Amino acid sequence: MRATLSQWSIPMLAGLLLVTMPGCSKKSVQSGGDTQSSQSGMAKGAPGAGGPGGPTSGGVSSNFPDTSLAGRDGSGGLSGLDKNPGAERVNGGTMTAKLDPSQSGRQMDEIRSEQAAADAAGLRDVFFAFDSFVISEEGRQSLSRDAEWIKSNTGSQLRIEGHCDERGTSAYNLVLGEKRAKAARNYLVELGVSANRLSVVSYGKERPFCRDHNESCYAQNRRGHVIVKSGK
Amino acid sequence: MTFRTWCIAGCLVLVGFIGIFESGATDVFLEATRPDFQKIPLGVIGIQNSGGPEWLGGRIEEVLKADIRRSLVFSLVDLPSIGIKVRDVGTGPHPVFKQAKENGVSVLVWGKAGAKEGDKDADVSMDGFVYDGESDEIVGGKRYVGSSSVVRLMAHRFADELVFRYTGEPGIARTKIAYVSEQGTARELFVMDYDGYEPRQLTSDGFLNLMPRWSPDRRFLVFTAYRNRNTQDIDMIELATGKRWTIVSLPGLNITPALSPDGNFLAFASSHEGNSELYKLDTRTKAMQRMTTHASGDLSPSWAPSGRELVFASDRSGGPQVFLMSADGTNVRRLTFEGDYNAAPAWSPRGNWIAYVCRTPRKEYKLCLITPDGQKRVQLTAGPGVEDSPSWSPDGRHLVFSSTVDGKSQIYMINADGKDLERVTFTGTHNSAPAWSPAS
Repeated sequence: MRATLSQWSIPMLAGLLLVTMPGCSKKSVQSGGDTQSSQSGMAKGAPGAGGPGGPTSGGVSSNFPDTSLAGRDGSGGLSGLDKNPGAERVNGGTMTAKLDPSQSGRQMDEIRSEQAAADAAGLRDVFFAFDSFVISEEGRQSLSRDAEWIKSNTGSQLRIEGHCDERGTSAYNLVLGEKRAKAARNYLVELGVSANRLSVVSYGKERPFCRDHNESCYAQNRRGHVIVKSGK
Repeated sequence: MTFRTWCIAGCLVLVGFIGIFESGATDVFLEATRPDFQKIPLGVIGIQNSGGPEWLGGRIEEVLKADIRRSLVFSLVDLPSIGIKVRDVGTGPHPVFKQAKENGVSVLVWGKAGAKEGDKDADVSMDGFVYDGESDEIVGGKRYVGSSSVVRLMAHRFADELVFRYTGEPGIARTKIAYVSEQGTARELFVMDYDGYEPRQLTSDGFLNLMPRWSPDRRFLVFTAYRNRNTQDIDMIELATGKRWTIVSLPGLNITPALSPDGNFLAFASSHEGNSELYKLDTRTKAMQRMTTHASGDLSPSWAPSGRELVFASDRSGGPQVFLMSADGTNVRRLTFEGDYNAAPAWSPRGNWIAYVCRTPRKEYKLCLITPDGQKRVQLTAGPGVEDSPSWSPDGRHLVFSSTVDGKSQIYMINADGKDLERVTFTGTHNSAPAWSPAS
């Protein structure tokens, strides 16, 4: 886990606060937006309440709230029709999340600068046939040129992004994208590039270069995209 | 807010192409629940305005009628067509009750809605009443109060009470759909009401947030996330607060998380041991168990409602196919044999069907259904457009999915029998990966 302690302490504190808060048992209907029923309550474990010490090692978080339905009666928070109905207050739900768009802009800036670095280096992408992660002869030529640049720019770290066209499922294309990125990485390593300078990531069909629904567009989207990583 | 008709214009193109192709069985239309279920004829007399904004009663009536239609529990009777033109029956009883009963209408619903005049911040109230023809009495009603921003929720809640009264199940009118919406070049998580209204953005990190799945208690989503451009994780977000944290960050791909129906296990795919395999994390002990061992990719686990089995996609037979296994990883067997590309399986909450993306002989990516014993297979959609990410409504009567039939990827709803195709999202450049929430 690479999260810092301070990142973890906020949900933990909030979780503790929620657990120790007196129960909100007032008859209040969170209609539509009711992400929790009065039975499940807040004391069942907000994020952070589940684990004693934040994240564990091994890539799996200890911060896992209880999301089970224990204690629910299956009525869905409904109280039934009534011959003399009392007023039920309908609230707009409990989603009060405030968005923080500051991250969004930072990502865009970094993406632009990485792309500019790759363009300046003249790095070439490798393209794939439909549903394939086999590197073609043309792809080998592109990667050979990339390998020369990488070997003569020893301070650079590179990322190979696997991309797919829009056909097929999002999930399957993430797996296919990883196979494409790894195929490109493995070929660069064969050409003598040190493996620890290359990282791979799959974006599946989620970051297309071209957005039309035709083969010339699909062909552009089936690629291993070689990028010079910025700082981090 | 734009008025949406019940899938008339936009969807006709696709409906026109919809064919139900079966292998083996002869019955064309599937009843998602009980084969002998007869819809209950229900008439809405009207929701009258008693003060407040002019649109109020009409809005509630419109939302209520749409909910009643989508419930598939009731058939909505056009009252004027059987000679009932009264729009207001006060607090009843009323002579039209007998008239309705004689015309086979089992349930009548009416009400009023209002607010204090001249105060736009005043609470709105809605009263709804229900006449039951069987017992020949007004069986009861509901009274809701709240701000004018929640009138749709009042109608949804009343619709769910009606379904609850006649089926013992809470209905789907207050369910939500989580989905992914393109914002610039980023893909962010959103959640909206099941009818496409009230969209809310949940993430805003400017990169990729994909394939959300609900926790059984509806408080959280788990999803495929990218901490940055280099690292891909599984994250969890709490809807009430927007708090978000990483729950699985193994090297390589960590994708397609799915919580078990009891919330005690998280199944997901990870490539940290080489290629994509399925793992199961005990959310209480944090013990992780590898469920599949194969040189090919395994992904997209979906739990049976019993929690005892999972369905998943794997390309161990060449192209991706749908497989079943027990929750301990044993007894793996292939379920789909028709076609060379079957993926993204979703097990119905009723247990009786598995929906998935199937590639047709014409290389179109459409929705198919198959029974868990493999005996019955149905192609649910046809025609142009790439379909993806089927997700069941908690009542097992509907599916939501993405399709490019109208050009850009948008979200659609369809009955499990292939009828009533309805487009749910209308704005944005790319809406995808819908996930229907459990019932509340």
